Amino acid sequence: MSRPEKLIVDGRRLDGRAPDEMRPLKIVAGPLRRADGSAYVELGNNKVLAAVYGPREMHPRHEAEPDHCILRCRYMMAPFSVEERKRPGPDRRSIEISKVIREALEPVLFLEYYPRAVIDVFVEVLQADAGTRTAGINAAAVALADAGIPMKDLVSSIAVGKVDGTIVLDLTKEEDQFGETDMPVAMITRRKEITLLQMDGNLTEEEFKQALDLAFKGCEKVYEAQRRALKEKYVVKV
Amino acid sequence: MIFFQNRELVIPGQKLAEGKYTVKEGAYREGDEIFAMVVGLAEVEGNSIRVIPLEGRYIPKEGDLVIGVIMDVHSWGWLVDINSPYTGNLLVSDYLQRKVDLVREDPHRHLTIGDVAALRVKKVDERKYVLLEGGRTGLGKLQGGRMVEVSPVKIPRVRGKRGSMLKVLQDVGGCRLMVGQNGRVVIWAKSPERTARIVEALRRIERESHIPGLTDRIRLMLEEGRIGDEQAGKADS
Repeated sequence: MSRPEKLIVDGRRLDGRAPDEMRPLKIVAGPLRRADGSAYVELGNNKVLAAVYGPREMHPRHEAEPDHCILRCRYMMAPFSVEERKRPGPDRRSIEISKVIREALEPVLFLEYYPRAVIDVFVEVLQADAGTRTAGINAAAVALADAGIPMKDLVSSIAVGKVDGTIVLDLTKEEDQFGETDMPVAMITRRKEITLLQMDGNLTEEEFKQALDLAFKGCEKVYEAQRRALKEKYVVKV
Repeated sequence: MIFFQNRELVIPGQKLAEGKYTVKEGAYREGDEIFAMVVGLAEVEGNSIRVIPLEGRYIPKEGDLVIGVIMDVHSWGWLVDINSPYTGNLLVSDYLQRKVDLVREDPHRHLTIGDVAALRVKKVDERKYVLLEGGRTGLGKLQGGRMVEVSPVKIPRVRGKRGSMLKVLQDVGGCRLMVGQNGRVVIWAKSPERTARIVEALRRIERESHIPGLTDRIRLMLEEGRIGDEQAGKADS
């Protein structure tokens, strides 16, 4: 893909969005009956499925901790999720993303409630279009709540960045590839406590503050969608 | 001050109250504020706040009656699957409620792999190591009947207030039930059709536990089922 001449024209991005506009977000809680908890998230063209199993017995036994539960996360991209077939199996990027997802979620879990056990979180990307780790965190948080696992709060995530000198919210693949900065953020929205912060590129201090503010606003919208998804699951026609 | 309607569906992190309330379950306190910990129905009873969870696995508690499946046999007793992240340990002496001479007796003719037994949780320590016991009335190996697994958080609803739902299931449904806190229910009924109807009733309780009026709906469903049986010429008993 060659770089488009301009990423922002007349204040509008390539897909027509304003700089502070998020892509359409859809969240469904509990689509997988067999999992203890699950969630499906669509963020723009991203399609991500999260499944949670646990708390359950830890295998291998010797990796269990006697006084708290382990959180194990696995982020995977399906071979068909991208244009050029992704070879199945973990690669360095998947392993890193698995780690940051785990670190984004750990602060809200009461791991001391389940000694010697494990909570397994699986994030499977079915279609990728930049922002899969943020969509994955959003899905995983809903899946954990869906599983009935005690949490202090939900975790919400969105990416911000700089494209053609403008601070933007929720980058697309082109913006991520050809822009100046990509900064995924995850937070406990209500408390404005950040649990994931990564940056690829550079920002001045002022730009960073602007970007973080935009991320707070974006996460508030994400939180609303997560909350609605969890409540909607229990609307049953009697 | 309370920030929710009674029996409102709340999500983790939702602020429930401020002030001198105690937390009974499903919520946590931070300073002066109380927040929900799980997806569930929030209730205030006097001075205490609780969130009744709508999902969750079974975590053993001392005194609970559980229905276990024997997984393994050892010289000291049995490993029991109690539908929990934690395995139950049943010592022979705790099962028989007496001293056992392991040289003279073979206690393993009592329970073998695959057996289903009603047991009580004797003790759970801080590592969640679970000790089970048997021997009292109603406990021990179960025979006949069909075992069904229900979400453990819905078990209180299967019992109902003062056992009201259980009564409807047994009297109107025409069966005997043994309900374990760990989500397992054993059904003894005269015919497979009746058993299937009870299973359906249990599934419905699982789905609609958060909607009021469930006991009446279940009664209606079981009554209609019985009429269906009679019309089909099956003997009622």
